[in-house]
Amino acid sequence: MNRKYKLLAVAALAAIHAATGVQAQPASGQDRPRTETPRLPDGTIDLGGDGVWNLPWVTNFAARMPGYQEGDQPPMLPWTASMWAYNKSNNVKYDPEGFCLPPGGPRSMGTPYPAEIVQDRDRIVILFEGGGHVWREIHMDGREHPQGDELNLTYFGHSVGHWEGDTLVVDTVGFNEKTWLDFGGYMHTDQLRTTERFSRPYKEVLHYEAVIEDPGAYSEPWTVEWDINWSEGQELADYICQENNKFLLDMHDDFGLPFFEKTSGL
Amino acid sequence: MKTKLIALAAFVTAACTSAQVLAHHSFAAEFDADTSIKLHGVVTKVEWTNPHTYFFMEVENEDGSYEEWALEMGSPNGLMRRGWTRNTLEIGTEVYVTGTRARDGSYKGNAQAVILAENCQRLFAGSSQRDFVEDESAPVEGCGL
Repeated sequence: MNRKYKLLAVAALAAIHAATGVQAQPASGQDRPRTETPRLPDGTIDLGGDGVWNLPWVTNFAARMPGYQEGDQPPMLPWTASMWAYNKSNNVKYDPEGFCLPPGGPRSMGTPYPAEIVQDRDRIVILFEGGGHVWREIHMDGREHPQGDELNLTYFGHSVGHWEGDTLVVDTVGFNEKTWLDFGGYMHTDQLRTTERFSRPYKEVLHYEAVIEDPGAYSEPWTVEWDINWSEGQELADYICQENNKFLLDMHDDFGLPFFEKTSGL
Repeated sequence: MKTKLIALAAFVTAACTSAQVLAHHSFAAEFDADTSIKLHGVVTKVEWTNPHTYFFMEVENEDGSYEEWALEMGSPNGLMRRGWTRNTLEIGTEVYVTGTRARDGSYKGNAQAVILAENCQRLFAGSSQRDFVEDESAPVEGCGL
């Protein structure tokens, strides 16, 4: 089937769905509507609409590993395990997000507040209300990652995406080491590579999955996943984390010294 | 401004709370979830700012002395989704507050709920997008707290 007929077929299906209207049926075990997944005119899954994605607060990535049982841990290298224990011991007070730095990586999909996904012709942009009012860009024009020194290390890395059926697959490299993978203190190196899969099984839910590969911090790839609920009619609000961060002003280091007084003037 | 209040006691109780408060920073590093506070007093200052709003309140002790408390709440975007506006609290507003106290023992806390004494309207103050379960084990007088 050539592209023209594919589009016609999609349009016909869309017309049938439009004629039958909302297919409201409760989700399994939940009294939640399930509406037909929206699509763009060319048949691509529409990841947006008149609303926002109500990102959950995912504090512990381990608990989001498929088949997780209490006590399970990602396959940490010894230094990663030591740092995780240290971060836990001080109530994760050095979490970069506490400094109003961006969440970066998969954590951005598990950090309050809501997010909006905007699909352009050659790129997809995710606008985050939280995480310090940041955005990330996913290139959809077939480009490859920059190589060598051309790859600048950044909070969100360099993302390229493509569609596999109705799933958006995003490959990202080039992360800096200034973020944690999660609130609980799993750390990573700049060897981090993520493969994210976004799907919208029905209008009200975005299913998110991320494979985390980082030979500098983990012995093998591991996966996290969660669902993100749609908030119809909601809009993004203003959130500038840096404005009045009293937490840092009152913060003390491991030796009891004021965190910023110690470093002022540097 | 020192408005005369009835039953001006501040209750600081050690109790297990099941509060789930979202913060952009580590809640546990700053606040002790096992030390709940219940305050009654008058607002003296409001900072409607990110990443947390703050208000300051004057609480009169039974002996007539005053304590100046600083209460952290959610950010404006989160609070507005819970029905707040930038003018909900003003200087002179009489409020009841439940929350948790700072680990350092100072007169600083994280407010979970603020009840307006004028009409007993209860406003959730945490930055959480989820609902939290309040500690109901130690009620104080006023507005059904």
